[in-house]
Amino acid sequence: MRSTGLAARRGVIVMILIAVIAFLACFLRIAYIAVVKGDEYREKAEAQQLSDTTITASRGTIYDANMNVLAQSASVWLCYINPARVTEANRTKVLSVLSDTLGLDVVDLARRIDKNANYGYLKIKGEIEYREKTALLEQVRENKLTEVIFVDPDTKRYYPGSSLASTVIGFTGTDGNGLYGLEYLYDATLTGTNGRIITAKDSYQLELDNAYEVTYEARQGSSLVLTIDNEIQTILENALATALDDTGARNVYGIVMDTQTGAILAMANLPDYDPNSPFDVLYPQLTNYFEVNGTDSEKEDPVAAARMEQWKNKSIADFYYPGSVYKVFLVSGAYEEGVIDENTEYYCVGTINIANRSIKDFNPTGHGYETPRTLLVNSCNTFAVTVGQMMGQELYFKYFQAFGFTEKTGVDLPGEGSPAVGVTYHDPAVSFTLSDLASSSFGQSINITPLQTVTAVSAIGNGGRLMQPYVVAKILDGDGNPISVTQPTVKRQVISPSTAATVASWMEDVVKDGTGKNAYVAGYHVAGKTGTSEKIGAKDDTYIGSFAGFAPVNNPRVSVVIVIDEPQGANYSGGVIAAPVAGEVIEKTLTYLGVEPSYGDGEFAVKTAPLPSVVGMPVEEAKEELAKEGYEYTVRVIGEGQTVVAQVPNARIITPVNGVVVLYTQNNLEKEMSVVPDFSGMTVSQANRIAVGAGLNIRISGSASGESTVIAYKQDVPEGETRESGSVITVSFRTTSGVHD
Amino acid sequence: MAQKKGIAKQIRKVFNVDGGIDILFFAFLMAILVIGLIMLYSASYVYAYQYTKNHDSAFYFKRQFIWVLLGIAVMYVISRINYKTFEVLFALGGTAVSWLLLGVALIMPAHNGTHRHIYIGSFQFQPSDLAKFALILTLACMLDKYHEAIVNKKPLQSNIARKVNETFNKPVLNYSVRAILLMGMVIVIYAGLVIAGSHLSGTILIVCIGVVMLYLGEVRGKWFVAGILAAALVIFIVFNTDLLKGYMQDRIYAWQNKDYDPLGARWQVNQALYAIGSGGLFGKGIGQSTLKHLYVSEPQNDMIFSIVVEEIGVVGAGIILILFGLLIWRGVVIGINCPDRYGALVAMGVVFQVGIQVVLNILVATDSIPNTGIPFPFFSYGGTAMLVNLAEMGFVLSISRRSKIRR
Repeated sequence: MRSTGLAARRGVIVMILIAVIAFLACFLRIAYIAVVKGDEYREKAEAQQLSDTTITASRGTIYDANMNVLAQSASVWLCYINPARVTEANRTKVLSVLSDTLGLDVVDLARRIDKNANYGYLKIKGEIEYREKTALLEQVRENKLTEVIFVDPDTKRYYPGSSLASTVIGFTGTDGNGLYGLEYLYDATLTGTNGRIITAKDSYQLELDNAYEVTYEARQGSSLVLTIDNEIQTILENALATALDDTGARNVYGIVMDTQTGAILAMANLPDYDPNSPFDVLYPQLTNYFEVNGTDSEKEDPVAAARMEQWKNKSIADFYYPGSVYKVFLVSGAYEEGVIDENTEYYCVGTINIANRSIKDFNPTGHGYETPRTLLVNSCNTFAVTVGQMMGQELYFKYFQAFGFTEKTGVDLPGEGSPAVGVTYHDPAVSFTLSDLASSSFGQSINITPLQTVTAVSAIGNGGRLMQPYVVAKILDGDGNPISVTQPTVKRQVISPSTAATVASWMEDVVKDGTGKNAYVAGYHVAGKTGTSEKIGAKDDTYIGSFAGFAPVNNPRVSVVIVIDEPQGANYSGGVIAAPVAGEVIEKTLTYLGVEPSYGDGEFAVKTAPLPSVVGMPVEEAKEELAKEGYEYTVRVIGEGQTVVAQVPNARIITPVNGVVVLYTQNNLEKEMSVVPDFSGMTVSQANRIAVGAGLNIRISGSASGESTVIAYKQDVPEGETRESGSVITVSFRTTSGVHD
Repeated sequence: MAQKKGIAKQIRKVFNVDGGIDILFFAFLMAILVIGLIMLYSASYVYAYQYTKNHDSAFYFKRQFIWVLLGIAVMYVISRINYKTFEVLFALGGTAVSWLLLGVALIMPAHNGTHRHIYIGSFQFQPSDLAKFALILTLACMLDKYHEAIVNKKPLQSNIARKVNETFNKPVLNYSVRAILLMGMVIVIYAGLVIAGSHLSGTILIVCIGVVMLYLGEVRGKWFVAGILAAALVIFIVFNTDLLKGYMQDRIYAWQNKDYDPLGARWQVNQALYAIGSGGLFGKGIGQSTLKHLYVSEPQNDMIFSIVVEEIGVVGAGIILILFGLLIWRGVVIGINCPDRYGALVAMGVVFQVGIQVVLNILVATDSIPNTGIPFPFFSYGGTAMLVNLAEMGFVLSISRRSKIRR
C-alpha cells in the first residue's frame, strides 16, 4: 500500500494493536486457567475419572500349609440393565427374560425399573452362576435386547472348608473387600489392581455403545500361604467341638504352635461361623446368651451381637486370667534369677496370709514339704505366692514383661488385644501392691491372651526364645511366584536354655504325676501346666479352665493352649476339662506329623506292641509267631484253609499284647462281627479285659496308667455298634482325681 | 517476435514468473502446520481408536495429512498465479459459487438440526469455509474499485440525491455512502445465508471479516460507531429474547450459569477447562493428555487447543500463539509493501481472518464467550477447511512475490 496514504496505514496499525491485545488476552486467560485455577480443574478432572466403571481384579487365594484352598474367588456374573432404554415396545420382553432366566419376581422387577427409569444403570442380580448366565445371554440375543440387558464378569468368594479356621481367615463383604481376619488385614495384598472401563459421558452417551470404551485389564491379587495346616486345624476344631459340647462352655479357644518357630499350625475359636454365609449364626446358644445376659442394646438385637461375637478371633483378642498356668513363668523367672533352686524347700499348710488377706490352696490340708518341682506338680498356690513375695514386684514384673505379656505378640492377624498398664497388668512404676503381687503369682488379676500364653510357653519349650507368632508363611504373586517368605523372628532370649530345660522337665512331671495327668500321651512326653481361674466381674461362679504345654519335652514340635471359658457344672478345673483336649490334640498332631513315640518303662497299664505280620504263613506257624515271648494274643482262626490269607488287625497296628487277633484262612469268607461294649468308667485293664472278651482290641488314648482313678470317658465307636472282630476301638481315659489346681 | 512477446505477456498476466515468495511467511506457516499435525495426531488417536471401524489410531491424522499435502499443492499453484489478473473474476465467481453452495446446504437435509454442510456420500463440505475466503476477495475487490469514491465522498448525481443533499445542505448521499451500503449489503447476504443454516459461529466470523476488511479499506468514523451500536443492540436482543434457536440459547445460558447443563451443554467447555487446568505451566508432555480419553468430546475438532495446553502447557500455547502472531505480522508486512491495494487488502484480510479464528477459538475453550464451534486453524481436523486455508495462504504467497519488502 505504498501508493496509499496515512489513513490506510493508521487502519493497519489499529488492527495490529487490536490483534496484539486480543492475543495477549487469550494468552493471559490460558495462563490464568492453567496456573491459577489449575489445581481446582485438575481435581475436577481427576474426580470424574474416578467415576469410571471398575473391573474387579480377581482376588488372591488363601492356602493352608499344604496348598489346600481355604479361600478362593470364583468367576460369577452380574446382570444390569439400562432402564433408560426400556421402552413400551420391549418392556414385556425385558421383564419376562429377566424373571425367567434369573428367577426374579416380575412385579418387584417392574417396580425397580420404573423407579430407575431416568438412570443408565440398574443392577439386577449379582453372583450369577455360569449356567444361568449362559441362558440369560441366549435369551437376550434371541429377543434382541443387547442394548438393554448386560452381563458383566464378577467374582464371588468361596471357602471350601466352611467354618474351618473361619475366625482366622475372616470373610469379605458383598463388594469383595475383606471385612475380618486375614481377608481384612491382607486386603490390599489379596485385592490386586482393579481394571477400569472408561466411557465418555457426554451428551452423545445414548448413541454410544459398549464398543466405545477404553478397557484396562485387571491384575490378579496375590495369594497367601498360611502356616495353618488343615489336618491339625481339623484335629483342634474337632477336639474343641467335643469340649464345647461336653462342658457347655460359652467359648472354647485353642492354638497349636510350632514351638521352635512361632508358626501357628492351628487356631480355633468356638462358636465360630461359616464365612460362605457369615451372617448366619451357627450356634443358637450364642443368640440365647445375649438374649439373657446381654446389655440392653444386645438384648434388643441378640442376633447382631451373636454375629459380632462369632466373627471375633477371641484367642488373640480376648484377655483372660491364666490362673495356675502362670506359675511356670513365675518359677522360670525365680529360677533364672537364683531366687529359688531345685532344692528350695517349702512347707505348705494350705493357706498363707499376705497383706491381711488369706490365700488358700485347692487342697485345704496343704501339700506338706515341697520343692519348686512339686510347686508345679501340685499347682500349689501358697508356695507360688511365697516365691512371688521372695522375688518382689520388680523381678516379678521383669519376667512378666520378658515373657511378652505387656506387649502385643505382633502376630499378622487383625484385632490383637492391647495390653494396658493398670487394666491388664500391674507395673511397679505405677501401682503394684503386695496383695496384687500375691494374686498375680498364681495368675489371678493379670490378663493375658491365649496367644500370649502359647507364645510364652513355647519359649520354655524351645530353650528360652520368645518367638513372634505368625500365620502367613508365604505371599505368592498372581502367577504363583513367591513375593515374600516369612522368616521366624526371635524377639528375645527370655530365660537361659538350662532354666528352660529344668522348668520343662518339671512341667513333664506335671503331666506325668500332677494336675496335668489328663494331657498325658504315652510315648510323647507332654510337658504342660493346668490353670483354673475365677472370672471376676459381673457374674459369680464363672471360671476359665485352661492348659498350656508342649511335646515332646526334649525337642518340642508343638505347643498347645486350650482355654475353656465359662464351663457349666462342677467340672470347671483346667486339669479336668482342658488337659484331655490338649492331650488329644497333641497325640493326634504328633502322630500326623510323624513324630515317633518313645515309650518309657511302665507307661502302660496294658502293654502294647506293633502286631507282627502272619499273612502267608501256615496256620500253625502263625500261631507260634503270635505266641512268642512277650505276646499273649488270643488267636481265632476262621476258615478251613492251611494258610493265613488275612489278619485283623493288620500288621504293625499297635495293640495290647494280650489282645485279639483274627486269622482268616480262606478268601471270601463272611466276616466275623463283634458288638462294641460300653467302656465308660472302666480302668485301663478293665477296659482291655472286656474288649478281649468281646473279640475286640482297644487303643489307649490319654492317660494310660493303671491308677484306679484313671477311667474311660470316651470311645470312638459307640456302644452297641458292631465291628469286624479284632478291630481296634480307641478309648480315652482321664482322671478326675489330683488334677485340680 | 511480436507473437512471442504477446505470449510472454499473456503468461506473465496469468502466472507470477518473477519475484520469489516470502520465505519467512512460508517458514512460519510450515512450523504451524507441522506442530498442528503432531498435535492433531496426539489429540485424536484415542478417539480414533475408539470410534473408527478398524480401531485405526491414525485415522484422523492420515486424512488430515493427505489434505495438508493436497492443500500445499493448491497453495503452490495459487502462489504462482498472478492474482491481479483475476481480481473481478474471483470476486464475482467466488461470491456466486459461495452463495450457490450456501443455498444448496440450506436445502440439504438437516444434520443435528443444522444446515451447515453439503453431503456427497460420506464426504462433507462446509460452504461457509469457502464463503469466508470469497468474502475477503469480494470486499478487497470492491474496496479497490470504489476507493476513489469512498475517500472523496463526491455527491451522487441523481435527482433524488441532489434534492436530499440540498435539503441537508451537505453531501449526505455521496458515492462513498453508496459504495459502503453496497458492500454492507454483500456482507449481510453472506451472513444471512450462513445464519439461515443455523451456523452462528460462521456468521460471527463473516461479520468480523467484513468489519475488518472495511476498516482496512479506509471506511472510517461514524460507520464504525454505528456498527458498534448495532452490534450492541444485536447482542442485547440475543441475550434477552427467544429469537435464537434453542441450542444457541442453551449455550448462552450455560455460559452465564455455570451449573446449568441440559444435555451436557456445558460438558464440552468444562472438559476443555479441565484439560487446560491439568496442563499447568509446562504440560503433561506430548501424548500424555488424559482428557482426550473420551472426556473432551471430539478432541480433534474445535476443542483441540485445550488438549494442546494440557500436553504442552502454557509455555507451549504461548509459542504457538507467537507463531501465529508472526504469521499475521508477516502477512501484514507483505500487504503493506504490496504495490496494489487489492493485493494488500487480500493479504491482510486473510491473515486477520486466521487471527480472528485463533482468538475466538481460544475464547470459547477458556469459557470467555458462549460456546460456539470455531475450529482452530491448521490444528483442528477438517479437510476442506484446511484446503481453503492453505489456498488463502497461497494467495498471500502470490502477493508476496510482488511485494516490495526490503529483504
